[in-house]
Amino acid sequence: MLAGICLLAIVNPPVFAAFPERDIKVIIPFSPGGGFDSYIRAVVPLLKKHLGGKVNVLPINTPGAGGRRGALETFRAKPDGYTIGVFNMPGVLIPQLTEDSVGYDLEKLTWLATFGNDPYAFVVNKNSPLKSFAQVQAQKQPVLYGATGPSSTSYVATVIMNETLGIPYEMVTGYTGSSEYTMGVMRGDVVAALVSMSTARPYIKSGDIRALAMIGVKSTDPAIADADSLGKPELEKLNVVRMIAGPPGLPAELKAILEKAILAAMADPEFTKWLEQTGNDAQPAGADTTAASVTELIAFYKDFMQILKR
Amino acid sequence: MFEVLLGAASDILTLRTMLFLLLGVMAGLVIGVIPGLGGTTALAILMPLTFGMEPIDAFALAGGIMGSVGAGGAITAILINAPGTAPNAATCLDGYPMARQGRAAEALGATATASPLGGLFGMVTLLMVLPFAKELVLMFGPPEFFLLALFGIVTITLSDPPTMIRGLITSGIGLMIAFVGYDSVSGGDRFTFGSNYLWDGIPLVPALIGLFALTEMIRLTISGSSIATDTESVRLDGIMRGVRATFKHWRVVLRGSIIGTLIGAAPGAGGTVATFVSYSSTKNSDPHPETFGTGRIEGVIAPEAANNAKDSGALLPTLAFGIPGSSEMAVFLGILVLHGMQPGPTMLLEHERVIYGLIIALTISAILSAILMLVLIRWLAMITLVKGQILAPLVIITSLVGAYAIDSRPGDVMVAATFGIIGYLMVRFHYPRLPLVIALVLGETAERGFMQSMMIGRGDWKIFVSSPASIILVIMILGSLLWWVVPLVRKRSRGSRVDG
Repeated sequence: MLAGICLLAIVNPPVFAAFPERDIKVIIPFSPGGGFDSYIRAVVPLLKKHLGGKVNVLPINTPGAGGRRGALETFRAKPDGYTIGVFNMPGVLIPQLTEDSVGYDLEKLTWLATFGNDPYAFVVNKNSPLKSFAQVQAQKQPVLYGATGPSSTSYVATVIMNETLGIPYEMVTGYTGSSEYTMGVMRGDVVAALVSMSTARPYIKSGDIRALAMIGVKSTDPAIADADSLGKPELEKLNVVRMIAGPPGLPAELKAILEKAILAAMADPEFTKWLEQTGNDAQPAGADTTAASVTELIAFYKDFMQILKR
Repeated sequence: MFEVLLGAASDILTLRTMLFLLLGVMAGLVIGVIPGLGGTTALAILMPLTFGMEPIDAFALAGGIMGSVGAGGAITAILINAPGTAPNAATCLDGYPMARQGRAAEALGATATASPLGGLFGMVTLLMVLPFAKELVLMFGPPEFFLLALFGIVTITLSDPPTMIRGLITSGIGLMIAFVGYDSVSGGDRFTFGSNYLWDGIPLVPALIGLFALTEMIRLTISGSSIATDTESVRLDGIMRGVRATFKHWRVVLRGSIIGTLIGAAPGAGGTVATFVSYSSTKNSDPHPETFGTGRIEGVIAPEAANNAKDSGALLPTLAFGIPGSSEMAVFLGILVLHGMQPGPTMLLEHERVIYGLIIALTISAILSAILMLVLIRWLAMITLVKGQILAPLVIITSLVGAYAIDSRPGDVMVAATFGIIGYLMVRFHYPRLPLVIALVLGETAERGFMQSMMIGRGDWKIFVSSPASIILVIMILGSLLWWVVPLVRKRSRGSRVDG
């Protein structure tokens, strides 16, 4: 298939001087209204501005199959620069490693940029007897965690963290989203959960839950453990990364135009203002860094596949 | 609190904001009428348009939509058996038989009365329980969800003794259909045959469109008649009778409102569960439950009261934790974010005035849409006089387009069409459709709740009687089982004695 795409690119002599000439679709693999969806919708108008302002950039919500439907749509799109898609890692990466045929290959996509990452907080109920992460590590009985489905980001992160640190654990799966298992912690269904910081932050602030450790980011609070203080710096890779890519075989000229526009949109003062207002943050990175970290992430998760398949 | 409430009222009651509210109400009614499109879709479409608006106008528009889609959806549910939104499916059950008897105006009158009453009840309750919002929301966990779903399935399946065996068969099939797709508890695919479409399961709304609207249009095409079987008997002056009936059955309104508010408050259960549980508990507590489904006005009042009350209920988890209690609320939170507010546990403290503004907008919207409905009923009811050959193609096309419009997936159209045929065969061979519908609606909630409870309780069944809410639910389930099964067993044993 890839060969076919390359052939197409050769047969049609590319004229990119005028790119973009028509509307550009940005495929969002979630339903409208969620956190990541609003994030993309904040970038999109600025992307239009930095692409010359003549064409529209249309966010298209393609929810389904846990993000796989959107990933597949971007992967199969024509590499003409008019269809690009956003990706939530490792959400679409785990199925590629655990299942036989997802229909896409993340390493073949033309990566354009990274929006940023969302680290995890290890949280417990406000009334939990666990006061520090050292107490968690000393547990003899399995710790009960809440998560969504067994190939979900939260599940995978919980398994990897506990296996690496040698903490006995049990899972309650089936929660429909991160706010649901955060509620599970508040209600006392489960003892703990790994919740992405963007979801957990307001509840930690309001005192409904307490964070005992941060995974995927350096902790600034000595009372809160992190990958370094736990002696497992490799856990630093455990976080949700948000990226944007075009289909495989996107010509280098188009890739450069899109990359430049995306990075410019993210550096736009209007976007900075939006980030401040909503408490979101961004760690923009360019195409090469993004492609390199995708390869790195695949290697990282591959190491844990034996445990995950069990 | 009252100061803030008054402040919020003065924000809403300006000409410009009221115009946005009215616009929302009209958009909500129209979108509610189209099968498949509900408040979630309407809000999602309008969300980007609110970008340049004043926040209060955006919330008035959103409140107008959220408060009126249910009423719009009830119109088509009653008139052409097409639930405009998923929760309205429960209204079809008795509303449409009423339309066939020429009592469409009466049913619509009852809806136009029951919805705002339910809405008002929900609002008052919401304002009263707001101080205990967190505790109330945390009352519902996986065990309670399982028991709630079980209660719905048990009461609906058993409540019709003559067809009980057939009901059990269809609800069993319904549960199997509800289990299609990725199992988020154990992580396997079930009955997906490698299809990416089936990975998300059989979508509820297209299935409901098929089972109600398409089934009925197939029947109508084959019979060739209009919806009202005896056109002479169509009474367009029944509106007031419907209004009076609603006040007469105030207990039904009250029960529906309480159920709607409570289930709305449980995040994740959704409006469809609320309307069906309200319907089934009303049916269950009636001395003649077997007459439900033949055009009982209580069968219209109960789900409609619950449908509007659930919106206030759904606000509770949103306000207490920033967690949406329904899919509409999820999109509404998106609108809040768009206007620079961060939903979360501190939202009620930080944006009190806006929140009360939304509550007021929802209330006004429920009342406005009821008034609009009362004005339009006479003309609307005439649809039931239109010949099947003219009406059926229009409804079939609208329904299929509606099914496609939800997520632009061609598969959804196939699901609607398939369920239309299944529904028609069920009607033709006298299998009750209701147990199938209730199993489709509640199957996933029941399974997830059960599996999670087992994991949380580490396999101990005591988890199902470990909280006051779950004990009450267990008693309700056992009570309705005894209520239906004991007379049946007694009849059977008496029968065998006679035979012997």
